[in-house]
Amino acid sequence: MQIELRINDSADPKARYVSWAPSPCSVRLSDPTGASQPVQVTLRQKPAATGGQVRFRDGPSASAKTSLSLTLPLAGAPVPFFLTGVFGRASVMDGDVTVEVRAGTQVLGSVPLMVRVRKDAAKLTAPERDRFVAALAKFNDRGAGGFAAFRAMHTDLTSPEAHGAPGFLPWHRAYLLDLERELQAIDSSVALPYWRFDRPAPALFTPAFLGRSDSNGTVHFASTNPLQFWVTDGVPGINRRPFFVTGTASANVITEAQTLALGNQYAQFLRMEGNPHGFAHTSFGGSISSIDTAAKDPLFFLLHANVDRLWAKWQRRFGRFDPALAASFANGPSRIGHNLPDTMWPWNGITGGQRPATAPGGDLAASSCVTAPGAKPKVRDMLDFQGAVAPHSQLGFDYDDVRFA
Amino acid sequence: MGAMRTRKKATARKASKTKRRSRPKGKAKPKRKAGAHAAAARGSYAALAAAALDPGLGVRQRIRALADLSGEICDDTGTFHGVLDILRDAKSPSGLRLAALQALQAATFSAVKFSRSRPEYLTALRAVAADPDLELRQRVLGLLARERDGSTQQKLLDGLKNPAKALVPPEKALQLLGYDVHADAYPVARRIVRDPPNPAAKREALRLLAADAASAPVFEEILRNKAEPAEFRQLSVSVLHSLAPRSLQAHAREMVLDDTEDDDLRAAGLTALTQFGEQGAITADAALVQRVDRLKGGKGSAMVKKGARRFLDKYRP
Amino acid sequence: MTDLVAVHRAPTEDEFAERVDALANGSRRAELVELLREDDPAYAERGAAAIVRMRGWVLLALGRVGLPDDALIFVLEELDNGRDAYLVAAAARAMRSYATPGSALAPFLVGAISNIRYRDDAVSFERYGGYAVSEPGTTAVREALVTLRALGPHARGVFRELEAMRASDSGALSPEALAELELTLAAIGSGLAEPEACCSLPVGARGFRAAATSTGSGPVESLLFEDQAGAVVRFADFFRGKPSVVVFFYTRCDNPRKCSLTVAKLARLQGLLAERGFDGRIRTAAITYDPAFDAPDRLRRYGEIRGVRTDSDHRLLRAVEGMDALRDHFGLGVNFIGSLVNRHRVEAFVLDASGRIAATFERIQWDEQRVVEEAIALLDPPSGEPPPPRGPDPARPRQRDARWQALGVVPPLAVAFFPKCPVCWATYLSATGIATLEQIPYAPWLLPVLMLAMAVNLGMLWRRGRSEGRMAGFYFAAAGAVSIAFGGLGVGGSYASMCGLALILIGSLLSVRGRRDAAERGSRRRPADVCALKQA
Repeated sequence: MQIELRINDSADPKARYVSWAPSPCSVRLSDPTGASQPVQVTLRQKPAATGGQVRFRDGPSASAKTSLSLTLPLAGAPVPFFLTGVFGRASVMDGDVTVEVRAGTQVLGSVPLMVRVRKDAAKLTAPERDRFVAALAKFNDRGAGGFAAFRAMHTDLTSPEAHGAPGFLPWHRAYLLDLERELQAIDSSVALPYWRFDRPAPALFTPAFLGRSDSNGTVHFASTNPLQFWVTDGVPGINRRPFFVTGTASANVITEAQTLALGNQYAQFLRMEGNPHGFAHTSFGGSISSIDTAAKDPLFFLLHANVDRLWAKWQRRFGRFDPALAASFANGPSRIGHNLPDTMWPWNGITGGQRPATAPGGDLAASSCVTAPGAKPKVRDMLDFQGAVAPHSQLGFDYDDVRFA
Repeated sequence: MGAMRTRKKATARKASKTKRRSRPKGKAKPKRKAGAHAAAARGSYAALAAAALDPGLGVRQRIRALADLSGEICDDTGTFHGVLDILRDAKSPSGLRLAALQALQAATFSAVKFSRSRPEYLTALRAVAADPDLELRQRVLGLLARERDGSTQQKLLDGLKNPAKALVPPEKALQLLGYDVHADAYPVARRIVRDPPNPAAKREALRLLAADAASAPVFEEILRNKAEPAEFRQLSVSVLHSLAPRSLQAHAREMVLDDTEDDDLRAAGLTALTQFGEQGAITADAALVQRVDRLKGGKGSAMVKKGARRFLDKYRP
Repeated sequence: MTDLVAVHRAPTEDEFAERVDALANGSRRAELVELLREDDPAYAERGAAAIVRMRGWVLLALGRVGLPDDALIFVLEELDNGRDAYLVAAAARAMRSYATPGSALAPFLVGAISNIRYRDDAVSFERYGGYAVSEPGTTAVREALVTLRALGPHARGVFRELEAMRASDSGALSPEALAELELTLAAIGSGLAEPEACCSLPVGARGFRAAATSTGSGPVESLLFEDQAGAVVRFADFFRGKPSVVVFFYTRCDNPRKCSLTVAKLARLQGLLAERGFDGRIRTAAITYDPAFDAPDRLRRYGEIRGVRTDSDHRLLRAVEGMDALRDHFGLGVNFIGSLVNRHRVEAFVLDASGRIAATFERIQWDEQRVVEEAIALLDPPSGEPPPPRGPDPARPRQRDARWQALGVVPPLAVAFFPKCPVCWATYLSATGIATLEQIPYAPWLLPVLMLAMAVNLGMLWRRGRSEGRMAGFYFAAAGAVSIAFGGLGVGGSYASMCGLALILIGSLLSVRGRRDAAERGSRRRPADVCALKQA
């Protein structure tokens, strides 16, 4: 007797990643040898002292259980169920969760999986940090890698697509997601960490992670850190001069509480583009502090992951996932690319006219876990990232401290 | 129709400006205690603008108001000009001027909205590019250099050629010139590599030359010369990998095999091989794998051991 | 030329500026125009910012002495592609001194505003290389608006675009620019736009050349390239046997409207070729200006990111040796600091199956469709084999365009008469009333002249039809010409003339379908000039 366990409705090992939002899964009898009637099985997580934890659900909104009993038809039809990570118990490495399917005491099958969410960069374990840094360096590949497209997407000439209008948050959510998926294609255990710029982050600005700046603003790396080979625009290295003491102080920004209190309407919350977003950028000298050069510094992506996380937190606090709800997004027409039904450059491939002259990078990278948002996302596709309104709009990422429901 | 609409808007703008101005300054003082922020953020742009520009208020209060104005200092021409005036006024306290600069910079991120103020902003930056305040000057030159501003590049180059005229230390000037590969800074950078005023300047000159294909021999030479500081040699490894990515394997391999090599360079070589090496070729390179195995348990530094472990995780699973 | 700088060292920028001023004061316009070529030695070994200042000063000098026809292309180039506010502003200002402005210029100015408005800057033209520091100065957007204002009714074709800009983007314009926009809109007026898609720019400002000058042999034949996969190929081996489309770029170019766009357009062009079934019959190549830095991995990635297809017929190349021969062969518009490009134009070439240059597209944005047409025109035996020699001149397929250029010297009447586009025909015919010629008093001599022109037109249609294998247009036009001839001679009366008109119109339409000049392409982008018609 054998079973097949599908995570995220896929048999691909690369699909074995879950987050707080429920992932659609199924189990079926792939080989009924020895069974004469439907088989009663129990799904549970193999006990482990550390690492991630998951729970099972009958339906997307059913209550979470530590184990689930299902009856598998002899004919091999799949029986659906849902998996969710236990909030606060994310994985620390690939496959540190094992889901077992038992019939009585007999283990019919098991799969390893990972509760993969975006975490506070200052709290990553050393291996988590090293895997992230390695994937990033590999993607840059000494300036000759795919990162060049991301560099070209965020410049002064392309900035109207992404800034100064309501699409600011959705555009950057797509941008980060695209990068994260590229990194996951290199190492699928990686999730983009975020930099909480309103708190000291002593573990982030170190030679082993994003580098330590000298007084001139030149960033130094440990000899074991592959970011020492970082090259953008043909020039190696990173310039970043913090105007605050990175070990003990936060950037010169308003706090998270203040940001979340900007207002319960999207238009009010959008003021965060100035402070904390703009102020986080300009709490440094160096590339990160100018729009045209900001994406040359890997810190950009951690800074923006926090901007995105603040939006996610705000969405959770006020229930602002539904694009149909007026308060979830700006009302009234905005420039192209900043309205809910608009597609976003460069993924839409549209050039000329009001859009930039070229659209480097092509489609938004696909995920092996979820289908949304597709290759050419629209602004509206970025709102319901957890699938809180419609399960199929799940984007496949979560933040360690933003719950699902 | 269009003209009418514009006129209406202009009238509305004027009206709101008058309203802002007529608000008594005393009442505008933003309270900095918890909870006050949200209220301040919600309806009192005028109060914040007034506070930021009010010379009668304390510097800290004004700095706070500038931060709370967020990206909106350009929403009103009067406020924008007031903030530019703070930046340009050499008599204003340094902290206040820097805060004005940061607020302006933050606003530049809203590119579309900011574009109407951009020419004046750049003009103001150029006006303070030679300001007596070094910190301000340095930040401003950095901003202009990242705009690939020709006049700024000229100032930086002039300063490198004639240190008496220099606005910033040579290492800073070189770093800023590095934002534009087309800045024609290579001749002066080569001269500084030969005759550096200080080690930081030499390092920045090397970083600048990293984009110059013709300078590859300079880096080869530094890499071969074990008398050069490890920092420069490590930089040379990165640069050669960038200028000639396919040379990586050979360079890195050589360093890993060389027992007289500096530990930092060996660790860097191991890192390069682990991250960018060709799986097939390295797995088949028995001599290399064996040597790395010895390094893992040898007398080398922790970095070398760590690098060796990662190398073996990848190439000898 | 040696007036001021006779010493054997590179002139300083100040000396260059003095030389420019001297040329301008001496009315030596031709020499000033020469200074706008990228490959002028004055630009060698200088930073890109210095070149901006130098070229800007030349443009401003031309603006003072009057912009000649052959300098217009440099102004259009800057408006079309410039990303530096100083040069865009200087170009916009220089355009105001052009003696025969027409409606074809306005879209370039609007394009320049779109390109530059989010990174505009305050510049000053009072002294060499000036940026505004304390004085008010001007900006690129404002200069473009002032020039549009000067164009007045010639800019009616862009009135709606400017109105749309005011409606949707007024928040992005400075109060000064907004005020200027209001004045511009008032000066242009919302009356009827001049007929579009007609007559177009002067020949030299269209960015297209039929090249018959390339010798096609010599050192370039043995030049070695390395492609994106590291494979080595000889010039003669890759560029012989099939026609090809060649573009130039370099990966460190910081102007997205130049190299990035060129390579993205090459990808689209490859798509067009495949769509139309020319896979395996036409090659494409993107060659880097910067072979020392653009190693195969960089080439591959740069193409990949922009959707370029690579295989044995489609490659990204760097010259392993012989960069100079390459420069000479193509007459590249580029200059260097060491091996790094400091300034270059946008350029694309169509090569025949012998590797000889058959057509050149330069400075202003080329149209993918048009380049594809030029390449297909070289494929005359359907087997796709190299074309057999067709006379002494290997560039024969391009003679049509060479003659076209020669027409610039014949009387404007004939120029106006040529079927550059169908609308020209209609406009001209309705304007001068060839079909009702007998009603024009005291001009009996006009008839034979027009008859002759009509015959020449028929000849052109015949040639075009032959080269494209579509003769329908010619047949219609021939029938029309016969009708008009009879009508004009009083046989059959006006009915025959009107029929004839209709037939010629249909014939011209059929003939030009899908073959528009880049400068005439898309009436929205570049509505053409009717000045030639007016002069006629």
